[in-house]
Order: sequence, then C-alpha cells, then structure tokens
Amino acid sequence: MSHWLALPVILPAFMAPFIVLAARYHLSIQRALSVASLLALIALGAGLVWATADGDIMLYQMGDWAAPFGIVLVGDRLSSMMVLLTAVLALFVLLYSIGSGWDTRGRHFHALYQFQLMGILGAFLTGDLFNLFVFFEVLLIASYGLMIHGGGNARLKAGVQYVLFNLLGSTLFLFALGSIYAETGTLNMADLALRLQQMDEGTATAGLRVAAVLLILVFAIKAALVPLHFWLPSSYAEAPAPVAALFAIMTKVGAYAIIRVYTITFPADLPATQGLHEVWLLPAALVSVAVGALGVLAARKLDRLVTFAVISSMGTVLVAVGVFTEVGIAAALYYMIHSTLAAAILFLVVDLTRSSRANLALETQAPVAGAALIAGLFFFGAIAMTGLPPLSGFLGKIMVLQAGFTDPSAVWIWAVILISSLVSVVGFGRAGSTLYWKANTLPVPADAPPAPGVMAFGAALGLAGVLVAVTVLAGPIHQFTQDTAAQLFDGSDYIEVVTGTPGKLSPPLNPTAEGS
Amino acid sequence: MEFLVASAIGVLTAGGIYLVMRLRTFPVILGISLLTYAVNVFLFASGRLVIGSGPILNRYEELTYADPLPQALVLTAIVISFGMTAVVVMIALGAYLGSSDDSVDDAQETPK
Amino acid sequence: MSLFLIVAVPFLGALLPGLMNSAGRKACAGVTFTVTLIAFVGLLSQLPAVLAGEVVQARVEWLPALGLNMNLHLDGLAFFFAGLILGIGLLIIAYARSYLARDDNMGEFFTYLLLFQGAMVGIVLSDNILLLLIFWEMTSLASFLLIGYWKHVEEGRQGARMALTVTGMGGLALIGGLLILGQIAGSYDLSVILENRDAIQASPLYVPALLLILLGCFTKSAQFPFHFWLPRAMAAPTPVSAYLHSATMVKAGIFMLARLWPVLSGTPEWFVIVTGAGLVTMVIGALIAIFKHDLKALLAYSTVSHLGLITMLLGTGTPFGAMAAMFHILNHATFKAALFMSAGIIDHEAHTRDIRRLGGLRVLMPITFVIATIAALSMAGIPFLNGFLSKEQMLEEANRTVLFGSPWLVPVLATIGSLFSAAYCFRFIGHTFFGPVRDDYPSKPHDPGAGLWLPPAILVVLVVVIGVAPFLAEPFVKLVTADVLGIAGEVPKAYFKIWHGLVPALYMSIIAVVGGFLLYLVFPPLLRAWDATPRPDAKPIFDAIIASVVAAARGLIAPTHDGAFTRYAGILVIAVLGAAYYGFVSGTVGEATRDMQPVTLIALGGWAMVVAATLALVFLHRHRLLALVLIGIVGLMVSVGFVFFSAPDLALTQFTVEVVTIILLLLALNFLPKVTPTESAPLRRVRDGGIAVVGGVAAMALSYHYLLRDPLAASISAFHVANSYKGGGGTNMVNVILVDFRGFDTYGEIIVLGIAALLIYALTETLLAGPVRRRLLNREPDQALAGDMHPMMMVVLTRVIMPVILMVGFYIFLRGHNDPGGGFIAGLIVSIAVVMQYMASGFGWASARLRYPYHGIIGAGVLIAGLTGIGSWFVGKPFLTSDFTYVRIPPFQEFELATAALFDVGVFLAVVGAVMLSLESFSRLARRQDMVDSDHPMDINPSRDDQPVEVN
Repeated sequence: MSHWLALPVILPAFMAPFIVLAARYHLSIQRALSVASLLALIALGAGLVWATADGDIMLYQMGDWAAPFGIVLVGDRLSSMMVLLTAVLALFVLLYSIGSGWDTRGRHFHALYQFQLMGILGAFLTGDLFNLFVFFEVLLIASYGLMIHGGGNARLKAGVQYVLFNLLGSTLFLFALGSIYAETGTLNMADLALRLQQMDEGTATAGLRVAAVLLILVFAIKAALVPLHFWLPSSYAEAPAPVAALFAIMTKVGAYAIIRVYTITFPADLPATQGLHEVWLLPAALVSVAVGALGVLAARKLDRLVTFAVISSMGTVLVAVGVFTEVGIAAALYYMIHSTLAAAILFLVVDLTRSSRANLALETQAPVAGAALIAGLFFFGAIAMTGLPPLSGFLGKIMVLQAGFTDPSAVWIWAVILISSLVSVVGFGRAGSTLYWKANTLPVPADAPPAPGVMAFGAALGLAGVLVAVTVLAGPIHQFTQDTAAQLFDGSDYIEVVTGTPGKLSPPLNPTAEGS
Repeated sequence: MEFLVASAIGVLTAGGIYLVMRLRTFPVILGISLLTYAVNVFLFASGRLVIGSGPILNRYEELTYADPLPQALVLTAIVISFGMTAVVVMIALGAYLGSSDDSVDDAQETPK
Repeated sequence: MSLFLIVAVPFLGALLPGLMNSAGRKACAGVTFTVTLIAFVGLLSQLPAVLAGEVVQARVEWLPALGLNMNLHLDGLAFFFAGLILGIGLLIIAYARSYLARDDNMGEFFTYLLLFQGAMVGIVLSDNILLLLIFWEMTSLASFLLIGYWKHVEEGRQGARMALTVTGMGGLALIGGLLILGQIAGSYDLSVILENRDAIQASPLYVPALLLILLGCFTKSAQFPFHFWLPRAMAAPTPVSAYLHSATMVKAGIFMLARLWPVLSGTPEWFVIVTGAGLVTMVIGALIAIFKHDLKALLAYSTVSHLGLITMLLGTGTPFGAMAAMFHILNHATFKAALFMSAGIIDHEAHTRDIRRLGGLRVLMPITFVIATIAALSMAGIPFLNGFLSKEQMLEEANRTVLFGSPWLVPVLATIGSLFSAAYCFRFIGHTFFGPVRDDYPSKPHDPGAGLWLPPAILVVLVVVIGVAPFLAEPFVKLVTADVLGIAGEVPKAYFKIWHGLVPALYMSIIAVVGGFLLYLVFPPLLRAWDATPRPDAKPIFDAIIASVVAAARGLIAPTHDGAFTRYAGILVIAVLGAAYYGFVSGTVGEATRDMQPVTLIALGGWAMVVAATLALVFLHRHRLLALVLIGIVGLMVSVGFVFFSAPDLALTQFTVEVVTIILLLLALNFLPKVTPTESAPLRRVRDGGIAVVGGVAAMALSYHYLLRDPLAASISAFHVANSYKGGGGTNMVNVILVDFRGFDTYGEIIVLGIAALLIYALTETLLAGPVRRRLLNREPDQALAGDMHPMMMVVLTRVIMPVILMVGFYIFLRGHNDPGGGFIAGLIVSIAVVMQYMASGFGWASARLRYPYHGIIGAGVLIAGLTGIGSWFVGKPFLTSDFTYVRIPPFQEFELATAALFDVGVFLAVVGAVMLSLESFSRLARRQDMVDSDHPMDINPSRDDQPVEVN
C-alpha cells in the first residue's frame, strides 16, 4: 500500500504543527522547514503527474475503509495536475514572502501557510463531498489568517467581509450536502455518480436537482463567478500581495470542483441532472469576463485593477468549462494553469510597486526603486493576463475561442472575449504608462526607500520563467490537459476504481448495487 | 413533527438572513450563528427524524437506530462553525478597535 | 541559413544591446548592426532558391492539437519583405547610432528595435497564421515601446497608447478573422488556406471573416478612418518613424492583404471596401499633408496617402494592380525612408522640424538638399526616378477600374491624389531648402557627418538606379507578384519602361505634376483657406471615446463594488434562491413516502421557544446583551431538540460549544458598543425582511420535502451501523464514525480549530503591537465594575469544582467510544473548568499557574492525532487505520483501548489548547493599565493582613 497519494495532505499537516510546537520563536528554522516542505511537495506533485499521466487512477482509503463508507483520496490526471501547479506556485510565492520580509510582519505566517496548502491540496485530492467541505474550511480559515496577516484597519475591514461572505458560502455548502445525503444517502462523488446512473426514468428528481444546483453555486462563489464575486476585489486587494498571489490558486479550487463534480458526478447527459448548469453557467461566465475587463479599465488603484483582471480570467476559464465539451475542458485546464501564474506574477508586481510608493493609486508619483525591472515585470504580466502574444495567455485564449467555435452561442463567446481583451489592454496600458513611464517626469526623491531585495525579484522572475515554460511547452501540456478532459468525460474508470476497490469489512459485492 | 422541525429550520434561516443583512458586525455575526443552527438542524434532519433510539449500539438485541452518519457530520460542522465564529468575532473586534467603527460596509471601497 | 535562425537571430540578439549598454554607444550600435547583418546574410543565402522559384520551408511542431506550429516558408513575397525589413534595418541602425543623443539609453532602444525586427521578419516568414498572429501582435507591442521610448515626453506616451489601442483592436479583429478562415479551410497553414479560394469565398462566414481581417489590416496600415494613430506615432525618435512607421510595420497590413489576395480578392465586397478605403485614404492623406508644418507630420500623412495608394491597387483585384502595388511598395520604401532620415537630419541640425522656420538650407546643407530633393521628386512622380514608374502603373490601373459603375470616379480621384502628392513634395523641397538663408534658426544648421547622411544617400542611389533602369527591378517584382497571385492569376506581360507612348496615364501624370506645382505656387492663400475651414481632429475624438468608455466602466463598476456587504449578501441570497427554484421546478416531485410522526406537547413547547426566541432576537437585536441571552436560548433549545431526536452526542457538543461561544461573545461585547444604532430605513428593512422570509420558506420547503420522503437509494450508514462494533470496536456509532470511519474529517476539524486559535493569537499580537494597544490600555470601562472582581465564594467554589470537572472530563473522554462523549466534548468541559479559574482569580494569577503553553498543547494535539494515523503505516495499513483491544482497570468498568482513543487524545488536546488560547487572547485585550495582577487568588481575603489590591 503506497502512502504517497496521501502525503501532499499529510506533509503540510505535520509541518505546520511542528513549526508551531518546535520553531515558534526561530524564524530561520521556520523558513527552512517551510521551503523544504514545498520542495518535497513539488517532488510529490511531479511524481503524481508522472504516475497518473498514463491514465492510472490512484486510490487511498483512509482508515482502510472502502468508499463510500470511509473517506478516500483519489489521484487522477486532474488532481495531480492541480497539486503540482499549487506546489510550484506556492514555492515561488513563499520565496517572495521571505525575500520581501512579509513573513515577519505578523505571527505564525509559515504555520498558516502550510495549513493553507494542506487545505488546498486536500480539496484537490479528496473523493468525498463532505471531506471536500472540511478541506474548504481548512483552506478558508487558513486564508483568513493569511489575509489579515500584518493587520491594519483597511485589511481587517476587508477581512471581515471576506470571512462573513465565505461563512455564508460554507452554510450554503452544508445545505447542499444535507440535501444530497437526504436524497441519495451517500457523500462519495463516485458512488453518487453510480447511484445517479442506476436511477430509473421515473425517479422524482426535484430534490436532487436542487442539491446539485446549490452545490455548483458553492463552487461558483469560490470561482468568483459574477454575481457571486463581490467578495474578491477588496479582499484580494487588501490582503498582503504575496498572499493574494497564493490566493490565485484558490479561485481555481472552485473551478476545479465545478469541473470535477459536473463531469463525473452530475454529468449533463443524465436525465436527473441535465439542463442544470449549462443553461446559465456560460452566460454568467461571459458576464464575468466583461465585468472583469470593465473593472480593469475602471480601476483607480493598481491592486484593484489586478483583482478585476483575476475575475476576468476566471470568467474565461468558466466560459471554456461552460461549453462542456472535451475540447472546452482541455482549454479551460490550460488556461487555468496560465491564469494562476499570470495573476500571481501581477500580485507580486503590485507588492514590488507598493514597496517604494506611498500608495497604489494610478497617478504619477516619483519613480519607484528598481523601476525598470518592475516595469518590465508589469509589462510581462500584463501581456500574459490580457492574452497578448507571445505568452501563454494568447495560446489559452485561442484554445478557448476554438472550443467555443462549435457552440451555439459562438458569436457571443468570440465577441465578448475579444472585445474584453481589448478593453483590458487599454486598461493595463493606461495604468502602466502612468505608473512606470510618466513617473520619469518627476525627480527621484532623496529619501526614496530602497528597492526590494534580490530574493523578492528572483522569486517574481522565477514565476515569470515558469510562465514562459508553460508557453514553450504548450504542446505537451495541452496534450496532458486533453487526456485529462478525456478521462473526465469517460469517468467510468474513476467510478470503477473508487467504488470497486474493497476495504476493511467490505461486503463481497459492490455495496451500492443493492442501494439503488 | 416533521413540520415542526422544517418550520423551525425555516424560522431560523429567515431570522439569520435578516440579521446577516444588517449594517453592523455584531448582528451580522448573530445572523450567521442563527444560520449555523438552521443548517445544522437541516443536515441533522437529512437522516430523517427518529425518536427515542440513539445511535448507541445495543449488543444484545437488533434495533433500528437513528441514522448516525448525519449526526457525525453535524458534530463536525458544529465544531468547525465554532472555530469560524471565534475567528470572525476576533477579526470584527480587531477592525472595530482599529477604526472605532463596527459597520460591515467598507467605506473605503465607496467611490469618492 | 535556416529560416528559424533568420527569425531567431534578431530575438536572441535583442539581449545583447541591453547587456552591452555599459560597454558604450558604439558597442551597442555595433552589435545590433552585426546581428541584423547576420540575419540579412542568412536571408541572402536563400536568394538562389527563391529566384529558382522554390518555396523554402522549415517546420517544427509546437501545439499541433491547436494547429499552431512553427511553420516558416520563404517565397518571393516573403523574401521581398524580409529583405526590406533587414536591409533598411541596417541603414536605420547605422543612422540611429549617430542620431540618438548622449543621454538616451541606447541599449534599451536597440533591444526594442531588434525585437521589432524579429517580429516583423516573423510575420512575413510565417506559414502558420496563428504564428503570424503572434508576431503581428508583437510588432504592435514593440512599436508601443518604441513610440513611448522618450518616457518623459507627453506626446510619446499618448501616441504609444493610441497606437497600441488602435492596432491592438485591429490585431484582435484579425485574430477573429484568421481563426474563422482557418476553421473554413480546416487548417491554419497558409499554404493550405491559399489552396481553398473557392471553399472560402463560398462560405457564409466569408464576409465576417473578410471584415475582421480588413479591420486588422487597415488599422495596421493606417487606412482611413484608422489613419490618425500614425501621425501621432511620430513622437518617436526619427529612426523609428523611418523604420516602423514608413518602411516596414505599416506595410504589415498591406503584406497581409497581399498574402491573402488569392483567397480573399476578386469578390465585390473586397473590391468595394479595399479600393474605396484606399482611394479615400490616398486623397485625404495627401490633402492633409500639404498643410502640415512639421516635416515629420507632413511625411507621416504622405505615408498614409501612399499606403492608401497601394491598398487601392490591391483592391482592384487584377494581376496588374497587384504588380503595381508590389513595385510601389519597393519604391516607396526607398524614397520615404530616405526622406524621413533627411527630416531627421534637419531636425538634428537645425533643432526644429517646423517648415515655417526653415528655408534656404540648400546653401547650408548641400548634401542633405540633394538627397532629400531627389527622394521628394521621386515621391512627386518625376520621370527617371522610381516613384514615377509605379505611379504610372497606378494611374494606368486606375484608368481601367470601374467603381460604383462609374469609369471616371477612380481615375479622377487617383489623379487628384497624385496632384496633392506632387504639391506637398514641392512644398517640402521649396519651403525647406529654397528661399533666402535665414538668421533665426534655433541652431545654425550644416551638413552632418557621414554617419547620418550616408544611409539615406544609399537609398537615393537605389531611387535613381531603378528610376533610369527599371528593367533591373522588373524580374524581381514579377517574381514577387507571381507569389502574390498564387493560384488566382497570371503575372501580366507588361514591361517596366519609362516611355509607354502617349497613354492616358501619361496625361494624368502630367496633370498631376503641373497641377501640383500650381498648388504650390498659390500655397499661402490656400493655407489661409485651410486654416479657416473647420476640420474634425482625430485626437480629441479618440480621447473622448476612451474617456467615455472609462467613465461608463466606472459608472458600472464603482457603484456596484462599493463595499456594501449588505447588498453583496442580498445578491447572494437572491441568486441562490433563484437557482434553487429553477432546479426544483425543472425536476419532478415524487409522492410523500413517509408519514408524519405525531406532534407531542414537549416538542411543540420546544418549537414554540425556538421560534419565540428567534423572533425576539430579530426584533430586539439592537440590545446586544439581550441578544446574546436570546441566542443562548436558541442554542440551548437546539441542543434539547437533539436530545429529543436521539442525538445525545450532538446535544452535549452543542451545549458545551454554546457555553464557550457565549463566553467568547461576551468578552468581545466588552469592547463593542452595547447597542446597535438604527440606520437602515424602514422600507429597506421591509425589503430585507421579504428576502429573509422567502429564504426561510425555501429552507423549510426543502427540508420538509425530504423529511416526508425516503432517500432515492439506501443510505451508506447501514454499513456504519453494521460495522461500528465489529470494525471500530465501539458501540457509540457517532463516535466511531468520527474517530474511525470518517476520522479524516475529524483530523481536518481539529486542524480548523487549531488554525482558528493561532489566527486569533496572531491577530491579538498584531493588535497589541500596533496603535490599538494605547487605546486599549487607556480605555475607560463603559459600565461600573463589580467592586470585588474575584469574590471569595467563586474562588473557593471553582477550586473545589476543578478536580471534579477534570474527573468528569476524563470519564466523558473514556466512555466516548461506547456512550455519548468523547475527546471533543471532554476537551470543552475541561477548558470550561480552566476558564472558571481565570474568571475567579483573574488573568495574571491563572496564567502564572499555567504550566504548558497553549501553542504547545495545540501543536501536540494535532501531531498526536496525525501520528496515530501514521502509526498504522508501520503495520502496512493506510492513514488512520484503527485497531483496538479491551482492558479492565479496577475499579473502572471494562473499557476498550483503541488506537482511535489515542486519536481522540489528540482531539482532546487540540480542543483544550485551541479554546484556551482563543479565550486567553481575548482576555489579554481586556487588560488595562490600571490593572495590577495580584498574586493572590482573591482580592478581599480576611486571613490576609496586607491591603486588598485597589481596583479602579
């Protein structure tokens, strides 16, 4: 029994309390442990991708109980991909936080950071809906901690809203879970899928459909789908920028959950669940793209600008998802990787810019220290985010457009996405030239604070390097996302592996057979 | 009986939603607590209502028990929501102490 | 050299100047020149193959699934443009080296220039249209950087943004158009697309595709009405204007038209739009150019006009038109680049480009005079210069073109255009070089060093050579034309010669030149007329458009994202209700399968209390203390309800949690205002109430719906019931599920608690480290404190109770696995016991007697739970696999010792630590300056002879 499917969750879950217990007063040790754990996580993630690339589905039965009675972790292409992406992102963000000294501006940064990772990775790996809820709570409460890290009125005020809104989300999640259990008597995704498939025509579906809708709304909140996105702008803008950079993956948790649940568990082709999401997910996603772009143009502060860019890119992801074809999902997954990295880079740029400015208002102020490099990074991030060539954003956008070509509402998809990118190009152009060019008309003040440390720049550049790699290696990566989409749409392997593997005291035949 | 529980859930939810839409953190937090009660009962009821046979295994005779699974889930939910409440109270308190203003709406977001 | 290298060299080379910056200006320019030269030589090395009519190919897969591949090809057309780009590039670089000022950052400049060069070469060599698009947009970005190169110049920044916006828009349109084209043709490879003329022109998507593509081309090549960005781009350093904005980048759009000519041209849509736009642009551009005083502006508009001319030629859709277009591209590139460089020289020497402040330079700058004059005359279409030849061909083509059924329209407009064109050429020469030498030049002009005049001189030589010996250029131009026409036409036989006999074109030409000269003679009155006539100016219009869009965006975004949580929550609720309603009505509702259980009086009473307490809470919530009491009642009733519906564990948990929560809220309320002010208007409260009622009804309906129905499939919990004793070794199924079946949930749950505590602690630290601290210390308690903070009765009582409660906790913990109880509840009970000590004897006293730091306890708890899980690895079982045995320690009843119990210990510790750390953090906030921690358990103690500590 190989345990390493569980390690991505268990490793940080041990690292964090250990840091609290042993290294509470030794920053350097905390940093070392934190970095070490992330390097290990990257290795694990890579290992998972390698192990699942050929279509294998790994299963880990917690407590040796078989699904659906116990909790199982499932590693397929999708999960592995997300784990690796998270680990890579987290490493660079962590290095940045260390380099910029953010981790010294409050207590328990590293412990919370590890817990945060545990929550995210757990959410990506678990195969049980209630367990998904638990991991959502873990990653949320850790994110509260990171979001208000360093304190300050504006941040706390935004924090209150962030927490309250997510508490509403969690409540909704529980309502959904309650209805699902009440209707189907199970909580495991695969088992649920099986039971839905085995339902005969006449089944009364009302309750079930409500449950499914409530669930997708929960994930839509996470994915900041308009009009459920209101929590995002101020909280991401007020959060410490490195934390916001890490949060770039959290919106993706929502997208991941939507993709996972609505391909395998509630597929659109079942009578019980058809017409539930495809009806409104695509329009809402298109609105998100537009609203995000307008927000970029309307922004008066750099951090707000980036947060709206995030909303827009999440919209693009969900547009591709909303098409609900294999091509669409493949495009969505590639774009997801891209937008995670791009958003993170931009948030780091925000922090670099802030580090030597009075504020982030989009008005001319004395040139920031290290301006040339920062401006370069901003230009890079902006190109990526707005989907201009030659970076991955362009490739991703082309994929999405292609996926949309066959859709009935292709015209809308193309028009909205293309026009929105123009709008954001204008927005980013105005912001950039005001912040980084016009600044040169002013003299450098004598008491200008020093440029951020080498390590901070290194981390940001490293992330940029990863994005370039994602562009250059687009071929293999896109191949992988295509395989992933295929695996999701087939689903039978997943269900077979999860529900078919016996555990402690499992009855001989598939236990859900008589359950339906 | 079922109706009583359902209506109780309804009342709790309604009260919760109303309080959540107030302008100060304190009532909003109370509203969240009400919603938590509501959803806990809701989740609990998803195992249907059984009276007078707790999920304690009787080793000597076969009985039908109240569904233990939702109870376990609710227990987890209660604990988690407790942690969440503590956190939100603390953050709200911090925000208030910093700005001596305990309204939930974020004035700095409003366009000048 | 491989095509890849030809494209790659400039990109790779782009790194060098930036790095060489410190090595000095010469080095920068030198390395840039070398890089370009290498690429140029590499290109020439392909010349034989091209002349032999082959198409050189180079292919590498990049994103095959998307149809995006590194496919390059080199035919005559591609070679022609690549040659222009690299060849003129060499001259520009040499020129720029002497042109740029000392304090300009040369490394940056040349880096951008090489990036642009690479992208431009990429465009013309791409065989894959997606690849082409990538390079296309890169040229826009590079030009953005180059126009804004002088960052301190306002016009530079604005011009850059305008150019980026306009060409960016075109680029996006082009993406759309080309993607459609690819979808029709079934491939993104040009070589394939170009084979599918009929399929494409037959497709219903032809017109949208055409419109989008033309939008892309027209914006890039500054065709009316998108021409306005080009003159604004003149804020860039002159080498940039000469290179990007006359010789190369603005030709990209035309290149695109030429490239797609075989598949797009020949339809009425193409003919009308392209020819029409070209004609209009040609005339308007020329007209405006006449009256421009800034030399570069004059040249910019003349460029616009000539681009229009070429576009018009491509629009006619005849092979001859295409050939004339290609020929004129060559000629225009030579004389226009030379003219820009001359303008640059004049600016460089006389420190002004304002034609009104110039004149008489003929004497002062003879070399420049010769160069500029020859180039300008060529542009005016004077015989024996190359401009004359292609203009003749243009007029000839125009003569044959029938637009809107009128055979006159095109010829007349074409003649007028050439006439204007001649006029501004004469003005350029006359007002700059002729006339008296003045004595008020901003700086005394004289001919520059060879570095500046040699590059244009070389171009002018070409102008003359082609002009007198057109047959030299003919074979090459025809080769290029052949590649433009592709499958769609035959290269015309017509020979390039100066004298065609007395053909109409000649007369038109004469009219144009003479008329142009006459206009020049009567220029002053014309200018007055021109200045008198009102004209729309593009910039304010453009700015107005952008401004209004921004305003609209702000008007939409700002009010909706104003931080009004109340609205956010409302929208969330409404969205949820709507979606849920949709889900419900779109499904089928089955018959009720369960019948209601009879209502008992107790239940009714409990229900009544819940409802009453909730309603009271809603209406009285402004009195916060009262509200706390009410919420306590609600919680209490809920736990009673759990008891009633046979969930003892839940009841215990709910109850203990309730206690701790209330304590917590009380501590918080200690700082907060005691009443909530009335702010929201009645109407609004009604609205909120409405939403709330709907929500409540929905929740009720949903739960009622399934309470009366059985699950659609049997619940998995049957398995838990069957195996909790067999497999989990406990009779309390809930507890077994918590620590065994779903132990992983519990693991996550205690981690949540732990994080909560850490967070609260961290925030307290931050607050106490910040400005808040002072406020807290000097806070005046807003209500009278009890005189005796730590009354003896309570102290004694808590001391006595302490061990008892601990015992109870221990008992609850042990029985947990078989009867209601368990680590979590035990933890809460114990922490309540400890809290009581705090309450009784005060913070200082209690924490002084605290042996283990709560952090440690939390950490230990989580670790123990985790280690228990890992323990099972050593017996080859998965995480959290449990095992158990039974022991009997008299006097206790027999109890079972399970690894799950160890796990429960972890839970217990985590809970104690978390609760205590949180409460402690809260109470730390409450400590004020005037509080002295007495080390005595109670303040007033008869048996003590020292004075009681005075508390405010």
